[in-house]
Amino acid sequence: MRLKDCHNFYDFRKLAKQKLPSPIFHYIDGAADDEITYARNSSAFNDVDLVPNVLRGVENVDLSTTIFGKKLDLPFYCSPTALQRLFHYEGERAVGKAAKKFNTMFGVSALATVSVEEISSLIDTPKMFQFYFHKDRGLNDSCLERAKAAKFDVMALTVDTITGGNRERDLRTGFTSPPKLTLSSLFSFATKPMWGINYLTKGKFELPHLQDFVKEGTDTNTSIGNYFSTMLDQSMNWDDAEKLCSQWGGHFALKGVMSVEDAKRAVDIGCTGIMVSNHGGRQLDGSRSPFDQLAEIVDAVGDKLDVICEGGFQRGTHMLKALSMGAKACAGGRLYLYALAAAGQEGVERALNLYKTELVRDMKLMGCTKISDLNRNNLRFRNA
Amino acid sequence: MSLKNCYNFEDFRKLAKKKLPAPIFHYIDGGADDETTLKRNTNSFDDCDLIPNILRSVGEPDLSTTVFGRKIDMPIFLSPTAMQSLYHPDGDKASARAAEKFGTMYSMSTMASFSIEEIANISSGPKLFQLYIHKDKSFTDDLIDRCKRANFDGLCLTVDTLVAGNRERDHRTGFTTPPKFTLESIMNFAMRPGWLFRYFTNKKFELANIKHKTDKGTNITKSVIDYVNEQYDPQMNWEDAEYCIKKWDGPFALKGVMSVEDAKRAVDIGCTAIIISNHGGRQLDGSRTPFDQLKAISDAVGDKVEIILDGGVRRGTHVLKALAAGATACSFGKAFLFSLGAGGQQGVERLLQNMHDEIRRNMILMGCKSVKELDRSKIIYRN
Repeated sequence: MRLKDCHNFYDFRKLAKQKLPSPIFHYIDGAADDEITYARNSSAFNDVDLVPNVLRGVENVDLSTTIFGKKLDLPFYCSPTALQRLFHYEGERAVGKAAKKFNTMFGVSALATVSVEEISSLIDTPKMFQFYFHKDRGLNDSCLERAKAAKFDVMALTVDTITGGNRERDLRTGFTSPPKLTLSSLFSFATKPMWGINYLTKGKFELPHLQDFVKEGTDTNTSIGNYFSTMLDQSMNWDDAEKLCSQWGGHFALKGVMSVEDAKRAVDIGCTGIMVSNHGGRQLDGSRSPFDQLAEIVDAVGDKLDVICEGGFQRGTHMLKALSMGAKACAGGRLYLYALAAAGQEGVERALNLYKTELVRDMKLMGCTKISDLNRNNLRFRNA
Repeated sequence: MSLKNCYNFEDFRKLAKKKLPAPIFHYIDGGADDETTLKRNTNSFDDCDLIPNILRSVGEPDLSTTVFGRKIDMPIFLSPTAMQSLYHPDGDKASARAAEKFGTMYSMSTMASFSIEEIANISSGPKLFQLYIHKDKSFTDDLIDRCKRANFDGLCLTVDTLVAGNRERDHRTGFTTPPKFTLESIMNFAMRPGWLFRYFTNKKFELANIKHKTDKGTNITKSVIDYVNEQYDPQMNWEDAEYCIKKWDGPFALKGVMSVEDAKRAVDIGCTAIIISNHGGRQLDGSRTPFDQLKAISDAVGDKVEIILDGGVRRGTHVLKALAAGATACSFGKAFLFSLGAGGQQGVERLLQNMHDEIRRNMILMGCKSVKELDRSKIIYRN
């Protein structure tokens, strides 16, 4: 199987599985507990049907949308995700350059493996920095200052990782950052020699935003769940979020809002956006899916800030449904991570182009020429 | 596979399957008829979603709750189950010790393989006794008196076992207690030499609470099903329950209440708790699940009695959903029996540790400082 055989999300996943050592593949592919929320994130879209309109003259479709004051050519973007150089040696460089090519937003994680300074020198398109609130206030300030200096457009505070999720696949494979070569994982690394050669020869693995402050993840092996549980500040509250929001002084979002009540409070503290997200089903299994919860949140705060639906997107039609429901944009991690693992920048570009092509086709079939044409009249719920 | 690879229900189940002779494994694992209710008991939790709150400076959440007048450190405890020494020679001793270690409740079945007195001697933790009303009333009186003397905290009367369920796996494997060595089953037992060794080198198998009253189930080969059908009183009615409540004069529950009407009546006769249960899907297949029925029962009597949800619980998030819907606590049988079969007391401790960690983690992710904060605002039913 090769990149040119990848025609959808599932193909990229298959190719990634071929290329990655299994602990790394399962780190991307896995979720919390029984992975019920993870499965629901996508299957939620199947409980609602699209109702097309005909005879509308649809030769030119404009997919652009504006979030955080920035116009994007696509109504979806690349969510910030950690440790990208474990998936492909180019890591964030590859994803950033692909996002630039399609003029969409690129999210950089505090746990990124390429620095904000380097990203900013590579791409001038919209950029988001995803912030984790650490116990170490010096680290927090440094992240904020560096992202500001590197001219990032949006700061997103992650609020759903107050403790690590129970990712059982990682427990079984022994996944850590940096990868630990135990007897049990050695075999899976040995069977993917290209990954191993690239990992060892294409520059040292590091977490540039954190390594001046903590050893964990760079020089000391740690699991991501353990990192969240020990390094992040569990006492984080609304006052902290409000302070960060004013300290940043620009577009500020909370990532991981699920209740209407919290969405309203995000407006009150000055957020300009929220990501409705359950962290890709990787934290609280049994929690509601973003799409299931989207309508209520849009109804409550959709006119006051940008509501972004994050998680579960595997198809253009999934995005059409979320946009029809009132999301300003869609975002996803696995959406591009399998493609990154499969073929680096070229892979991510192929994935982005594929979803774009699907969206254009589906917009035409729906009888819509611009994102603002989509609304709830286009949707019918099966159990309403 | 060993105990240290057991992270969840399915892992313990797999390890127990490896360790136990097939008839015994299937006695735990099976349910009635087509096992439709057994499956739904767990699946029903998936039709309800949790809604977390953020930025609440949760810190260390308080998982404790109070049932049967005793504070327990986590909102789940061990359901009463019969014949635990078939799964591990330490049987009830192992589960009682593990429960005490985690500050939660151990429950003893009338059909336990250790006596009320033996368990009271080894554990001062919270203890619940599960009563079956036998045709011979002196049985019932004797058990209640002994529980009182042994300082058990609560009593529950099982009301869903008037007749034994149709457990087809037991028909096929020829499960009896004590185990009968027929030609068909001998292979299954022979393939688990470790179990056989432990079985024959430990205390003789017996139903310790009733052995002085009957030889059924102890000295002769007798299937549980036949025992239930012969010894339990199918005439049992509300007056009998009321009689037990008066005689016991302490925290008391009916175990196996499923209708709102019966829940209300339980309040009327003086119960302090009800256990919503379909006996782990082992009795009436096609009956409603505890979680599906919880909301209605909680709306009717939630302010008057403690509500225990029993059945289908495998995950910390299941407990959270039940508490949010109105339960005071949950209890589970299969999960801890597999862990007992997998590793004795150590197995049950690992299971309780996993469960504790899951509940704690998920409380933090939900933004809840104590289980009291779990209410209907934290869940949404899909339909």
